[in-house]
Amino acid sequence: MTTDVAKPGPARSGLPISILLAGLSIGFFVVVALATGEIAQLSGQGITGLLQRMVALGLVAIGQTFVILVGSIDLSVAALISAVAVLASHIMQGDPAMILPAILLCLGLCLAVGLVNGALVAYGGINPLIATLGTGLIVQGVLAASFGSLQGAVAREFQAIAYGGLLGVPYSLLLLAILSLAAAFVLHRTLFGARIYAVGGNPDGARLAGIRTERVTLSAHVVASLFAGASGLYLAARLQSGTPWVGRDGIYDLESIAVTVIGGTILAGGKGGIAGTLAGVLLFACLDAGFNMLGIDAFLKQVLRGAIVIAAVAVHAVRTKGHVA
Amino acid sequence: MMAALSMSGISKAFPGVRALDNVDFDCLPGEVHAICGENGAGKSTLMKILGGSYRPDAGTIRLAGNAVHFSHPRQAAEAGISIIHQELSLLPHRSVAENIFMGREIARHGLLDKAAMRDKAARLLGRVGARIDPQALVSSLSIAMQQLVEIAKALLLDARILVMDEPTAALDERDSRTLLALVETLRRDGVSIVYISHRMPEVMAIADRITILKDGRKVWTRPRDAAPVGEIVRAMVGRDLKDFYPARPASASGQLLLSVEGGANAALRDVAFDVRAGEIVGVAGLEDSGKAALAQALVGDAPFSSGTVTLRGEPVTLRAPRQATAAGIGYLPGDRKREGLALRQSVRDNALLTLRSMAGLFARPQRGAFASDVIDGKLREMDVRAADFGQEVGTLSGGNQQKAIIVRWLAQASDILVFVEPTRGIDIAAKAAIYETMRGFADSGRGIVVVSSDMPELIGIADRILVMHQGRISGALPRDASEEDIMHLALGLADQPHREARA
Repeated sequence: MTTDVAKPGPARSGLPISILLAGLSIGFFVVVALATGEIAQLSGQGITGLLQRMVALGLVAIGQTFVILVGSIDLSVAALISAVAVLASHIMQGDPAMILPAILLCLGLCLAVGLVNGALVAYGGINPLIATLGTGLIVQGVLAASFGSLQGAVAREFQAIAYGGLLGVPYSLLLLAILSLAAAFVLHRTLFGARIYAVGGNPDGARLAGIRTERVTLSAHVVASLFAGASGLYLAARLQSGTPWVGRDGIYDLESIAVTVIGGTILAGGKGGIAGTLAGVLLFACLDAGFNMLGIDAFLKQVLRGAIVIAAVAVHAVRTKGHVA
Repeated sequence: MMAALSMSGISKAFPGVRALDNVDFDCLPGEVHAICGENGAGKSTLMKILGGSYRPDAGTIRLAGNAVHFSHPRQAAEAGISIIHQELSLLPHRSVAENIFMGREIARHGLLDKAAMRDKAARLLGRVGARIDPQALVSSLSIAMQQLVEIAKALLLDARILVMDEPTAALDERDSRTLLALVETLRRDGVSIVYISHRMPEVMAIADRITILKDGRKVWTRPRDAAPVGEIVRAMVGRDLKDFYPARPASASGQLLLSVEGGANAALRDVAFDVRAGEIVGVAGLEDSGKAALAQALVGDAPFSSGTVTLRGEPVTLRAPRQATAAGIGYLPGDRKREGLALRQSVRDNALLTLRSMAGLFARPQRGAFASDVIDGKLREMDVRAADFGQEVGTLSGGNQQKAIIVRWLAQASDILVFVEPTRGIDIAAKAAIYETMRGFADSGRGIVVVSSDMPELIGIADRILVMHQGRISGALPRDASEEDIMHLALGLADQPHREARA
């Protein structure tokens, strides 16, 4: 035990992970753009395009951050994204009058899946990896089996979410920004947020302090599912018509976990936050854009991404060893 | 003055153990009342009843005269009882203020009032005399500071009764002093403090009254002035020796088997001792004395970082359990279920564990020493009672499980066995059988190191007893040592004048 009683230090100084990570990502993007001569990528339009790459993954990852903070995990988000995309286009059938009903129904489905996930994990005591893998497989299976009768396309007006904008800022980016701020506000400023950190950090301590830990876990799962739904709706708007494979092909389940962890949220729960997760998403977006400019082959891209995930987590491990006494 | 807390006639039994028998205990406002007793005397059970974790079988608890019944720790907390455990319940990655208010956040319509929490946290920290920034992360604080945060947390609930269970066990001298100064401050504020500690100098320095528990009963309660250390120690240990220990060999022990010189690691300092052939060496000490660390070092689980170990005259390195096993040192851990056994595997598989793990990859599983009938023979020889050696070892009694582990090491032909708490959770009859086996093993020209919290057991079985205190061997006692002698060394009273000068 090394102690210096006289000097109880304030929270360790140094750049927060999120800023560091965002800086590195943007630096990489700029350097690659300059090196390859793709100066257009650095224009307002290019930057907007870069940021738009963040939307789909960003929305899922915010939800994933909630469940990971509470000490759980959600593998069902990819299937849920596909389900929402398909369902939204099927209900709308190109009719603008059906936009609101479609959105409500999709979010209703997400609420149900979130409640099931949460109940299995919090009250059923089932390991979250298994519980959410199971619900994800069920959703995916039902979807693939019934896709034949679920054809359709979203309304043209609905596509404005992906392609329209306000003063040059796409609606999708505004959506991501607003939901990110809301999520950060909930985590840092509300009772619910404090309870999430308490349950994730020390479940037994939280229970002894009188927190109903099961409810907190359940709520976090509902939040994750709703954010997956938002991501599914965005993808439906962008693709005009959903397919049962949009979620799986985007690897949204594993990538949302990866960016959350890269952003400094620990898998055990109780530490981390939205800013880090968004920085992780930005890193992935910059890598994608950079690799595209460099013309790197898709499979090699995958290899590099994998290596970067491992490197990022290793850096966290080293940093943490430094200051946990 | 009316007692802030009064517990009367408290009894509690667990299967096979009478943990508390008609215990009375009270504490006045502004009083520090210390509880002393050996490991297993019932201190923790009494405090768990007070804290609402256990319900008593009989007896009443009164707070300022009103009878209370707790069925959940939360109720005890709301009634003003706060228990500060040795293991802390803090969130390491959150700020001090967030920890103090965990589960009791100040909020309006679900929105946190962070400024109010910071201010109040700062006031509470000021009251405990801790200069800690409420926004500092808990993981950046020392253990002593974390203790202070726990206490501030207790004060948030306006605790009138504060139970401190070995609060200084994890602290060094200077941090302990900080904590003791705080106890003094709280006492002046009228808080009743129940103080459980093994450290006699501390108890003598701060306690107003002292209660001794022994085998679940209260021996006496006296004001500090009427309780000299000698009396306390005698009251803690005075009990009848049971004579189910095997006779010791009359002959002197044989050649040198194991020798440790200058052994040290994070938990141990300057450890030096020998084990001779035919000898059982006991290791005594209190909970945090390093006696468990010594066992772990000998078997390479938490190895010595410096010092030399020689086995039959040859220096050996014990950096990992595999090296220790290969060198002929066997380990019988105290927590059999977690560290000793594969509970879902058969008795036979468990007995074969070491042989198999030390064998080459291509050893044939049913040949030679691995054959079922060979190991079954050894199990029968040890009198392991099972309907079938193919049954899960978890279904056997504690005594039979321990015997199955002994067979494991006999099969490996180990020279030295390290036992930790060899008879914890084992009934009397099986205990005697295990002592027989231990003595038999030693008589065959091999050696045993036995670490135990059970002093009569050590006195009964060991030829020599090493007593540990704060990571050192504070003394070695011959075979006919008394419990008072052991306790004296275990409490670190041998160098008491030195300690008092610092405390």
